[in-house]
Amino acid sequence: MKKYILYTLSVVVIFAQQVFASGGDQCFTCHDGLGDKESSGYKHDIHFIKGISCAGCHGGNSNSEDMEKAMDKNGGYNGVPKGDDISKTCAGCHADSARMKSFGSSLPTNQWEMLQTSVHARLSTNGQEHIVQCITCHGVHGIVSVKDPASPVYPLNIVKTCTKCHSDAAFMRNYNPSLPVDQEAKYRTSVHGQLNAKGDPKPAACASCHGSHDIRSAKDAKSRIYPVNLPSTCSNCHSNAAYMKAYNIPTDQYAKFSRSVHGIDLLEKHDASAPACNSCHGNHGAAPPGVESVSKVCGTCHALNADLFSGSPHKKAFDDKKLPECETCHGNHEIAAATKALLGTSKDAVCSRCHDQQTNPKGYEVAGVMRALTDSLESQEDLATVLLGKAEQKGMEVSESRFKLRDVHQARLQSRTMVHAFDEAKFREVVDKGLKTSAGVVEEGQHAINEYYFRRWGLGISTIIITMVAVALYFTIKGIERKQRNALKSNIIKK
Amino acid sequence: MNERVELDDLVDFMGKKYVPQHSHSVWYYFGGVSLFLFIIQVVTGILLLLYYKSGEDLSFESIQFIMSKVQFGWLIRSIHSWTANLFILSAMVHMFSVYFGKAYRKPREVTWLTGMLMFFLALAFGFSGYLLPWNELAFFATKVGTDIAGVVPFIGKPIMQLLRSGEDVTGATLSRFFGFHVAVFPGIFTVLLGIHLLLVQRQGMSEPLGAGDDVKSDQKRMPFFPNFMLRDLLLWLIVLNLIAILAVFFPWELGKKADAFAPAPAGIKPEWYFLFMFQTLKYIPGKLWIFDGEVFGIMLFGLAGLLWMLIPFWDRKSSRGEQTRFINYIGLFVIMYIMIFTIIGWLA
Amino acid sequence: MNSNEEIPQGHDERRTFLKILLSGGLIALGGSILYPILAYLKPPKQGEVEVTSVKAGKLSELEKDSGKIVKFGTKPVILIRTANNELRAFSATCTHLECTVQYKKDLGLIWCACHNGKYDLNGRNVSGPPPRPLDEYRVVVQGEEVLISKKV
Repeated sequence: MKKYILYTLSVVVIFAQQVFASGGDQCFTCHDGLGDKESSGYKHDIHFIKGISCAGCHGGNSNSEDMEKAMDKNGGYNGVPKGDDISKTCAGCHADSARMKSFGSSLPTNQWEMLQTSVHARLSTNGQEHIVQCITCHGVHGIVSVKDPASPVYPLNIVKTCTKCHSDAAFMRNYNPSLPVDQEAKYRTSVHGQLNAKGDPKPAACASCHGSHDIRSAKDAKSRIYPVNLPSTCSNCHSNAAYMKAYNIPTDQYAKFSRSVHGIDLLEKHDASAPACNSCHGNHGAAPPGVESVSKVCGTCHALNADLFSGSPHKKAFDDKKLPECETCHGNHEIAAATKALLGTSKDAVCSRCHDQQTNPKGYEVAGVMRALTDSLESQEDLATVLLGKAEQKGMEVSESRFKLRDVHQARLQSRTMVHAFDEAKFREVVDKGLKTSAGVVEEGQHAINEYYFRRWGLGISTIIITMVAVALYFTIKGIERKQRNALKSNIIKK
Repeated sequence: MNERVELDDLVDFMGKKYVPQHSHSVWYYFGGVSLFLFIIQVVTGILLLLYYKSGEDLSFESIQFIMSKVQFGWLIRSIHSWTANLFILSAMVHMFSVYFGKAYRKPREVTWLTGMLMFFLALAFGFSGYLLPWNELAFFATKVGTDIAGVVPFIGKPIMQLLRSGEDVTGATLSRFFGFHVAVFPGIFTVLLGIHLLLVQRQGMSEPLGAGDDVKSDQKRMPFFPNFMLRDLLLWLIVLNLIAILAVFFPWELGKKADAFAPAPAGIKPEWYFLFMFQTLKYIPGKLWIFDGEVFGIMLFGLAGLLWMLIPFWDRKSSRGEQTRFINYIGLFVIMYIMIFTIIGWLA
Repeated sequence: MNSNEEIPQGHDERRTFLKILLSGGLIALGGSILYPILAYLKPPKQGEVEVTSVKAGKLSELEKDSGKIVKFGTKPVILIRTANNELRAFSATCTHLECTVQYKKDLGLIWCACHNGKYDLNGRNVSGPPPRPLDEYRVVVQGEEVLISKKV
């Protein structure tokens, strides 16, 4: 008898426990009893752990054991939400900060709002709903925190989640046929992708750069990957010394880049055609498409210089010494505006790093010559400009000479490019053209100034002559009139 | 020489020319100065003609060429531009001195008429020549000027079209003005000048009313040859020097090339000799009784000019040797009006 | 009578001096007027004012699929006759660092030799460092002549 009572009591207790433990979630109890996949997944779901019943999303009465009553449409049961209703259901709590606080959550509550602005909020092919719903990425009945390795959006899993659509060419063709679908393959060639494949969640995965809810097209000025914004997106990790400690690479690239010519153009002048991090380092792959390595990437924009360099003696020399081509002289992140200070044989000139009079005298000599020619062309142009300015200030007409001065300016710019051939003859040719023209302009400017003074001298001399004649004329008149008066007087006297 | 051309009579005649001497003699010089300035214009004008090219795409550049590439081109051009203004000024002084001296009275009516016609031609010379560099200021000044001509009732529109060689100021206008400036006007002017000078030679110098009737007295006159002529020459030398100084220290500007599509530059105004009329038109209200204000103003000036030109015929008293105070007051009023409105126009 | 015949020595010298001054001065004056006029008449080195801004030469002298630089006041303008026989004109000042551009037949594009900037035949910057397109000019054919003017 005691055994029977104990047994019944324990069953009752266990049953009661079940009832209280599940907060009265009859839906779950029943469905779990049925053994369906949703409820077996939901067991691990954070919402279940927080005590939210199936009715929390599906509506209906979770207290009722009666299926009809529990799943009564008039009782609030929504069935399986379809389309945007799914996300609206999630947003029902997740966009409500009071509600979220009541569950002790410090999660942001703007995800639905942000999703509306993203590219994923566009209409899907059926025209009725957004392309993506919350459950597309987060899963549906096994949702866990994004920091949980089981989450489909955990860095180690997110690639698989995104590429479910983004590597499906047929699917993507419906929405944007021009978008590539090989991002994953490329990603796996990069450092980020390789480390990620090895199980390191710290390097960048899809959401690290693209964002999660507010994903915008790269052409959208508000996107994290819009060229002007991209460097700060990268520096979120790469400038964080603590975060990057294990990887042993510098964390000053952003700081350096923002001081460089490219950085100033991109970040201050908002010139979207200036290079951002991805222009040299690639987007998903390790280097931009068609480029052997990041050390050879400069030529994609600076084609002329790269061509000249390839034909120059430096190409083989650098390759032999395994020196990167452009970076050796110009730097990589902190590329400053290239001035003539880089050229020559002085201590701060880049040439003197390898070339000195004893070890490579030929290169030393050429460097010296090129610098000297550059200096002389610059000083000639300056002289010509000053002379023309003086002439204009004096009111002389020198517009044609000004027009010729443009050619001198052009020769200077072209000579800077020609440096990269590292060939004295070719360099001289370009500079000589400029020197010849500027000599002509200097002559014309000087002539104009001389003409100014000539005119004033001429006036002075003419004035002296005229005054001389005027004075002589005056006295002549006086003389004639005196004679006439005398003649008149003598005539009167005669009479 | 004498045997061939028989100059004796001429020399004899010339030897008997006398210029009266009185307190107002100094004004006698201004006719000669005007003539001198006109000669300078002809000489520099011909020189400019050797390098100037007429045409929308060449006029401006050819003047730039003259100013910068031709030796002393800057000098010839600046002299021409400055002398144009000095010529009109001198002609005005000459005109007013004749007016106040009543030299227009019988028998010199035709001299006055030819003089007035020459004066109007001088203004036309100035207006047409101003356009020839085809620069911004000139383009718009011509536009405004010919617009005003077009406002005259009935005949205004066809006159404007005739002047502009079309509806708008274009390259065709430039060609036409060029033709006027170097051929038509000089031709007419020469004829008028010839008549004017001939009459002066035949009739001798007029004496201002009340300045003394005793022409016979030798002290009160000087022979034209050589006295007055040498004095004339002296004055002309000084004027020449003045022009040279102006040309060197205040070279005439060229400005920007005319662009028909550009908006008119702010504060545009005509040359000083048109300024008093321009300024007057600005002050006339838009509508006066039934007349359009601008038309009224133009007709008023036209009438004033006509009356002024016909003064020998309605100032009958002067032919009798009598002064009319009223005429003098009108003259003073005109001078004051022109001066005041020119200054206002300049300062505006 | 005698007193009038007596001309003091001083006066005589003075009159001669005056005569010399006057004649010398007149000759100098004549010279200083004649010299500029003669110099003016001497043809300058550059024979005549150049064909300029607006007239850009005869249409028959411009080949198809070619371009030429023309001076428009103080600025260069590139006039292009495309392979389809259209006429285009643009400012020839590169919007990057102000070099003078040229037409490249093999590319069918406007090219800047300084830093490899490229513009299409609508003046739009399509490659390289130029940040802005080239300003367009108006081209009109009057009879035989090609005329270039500013675009309104």
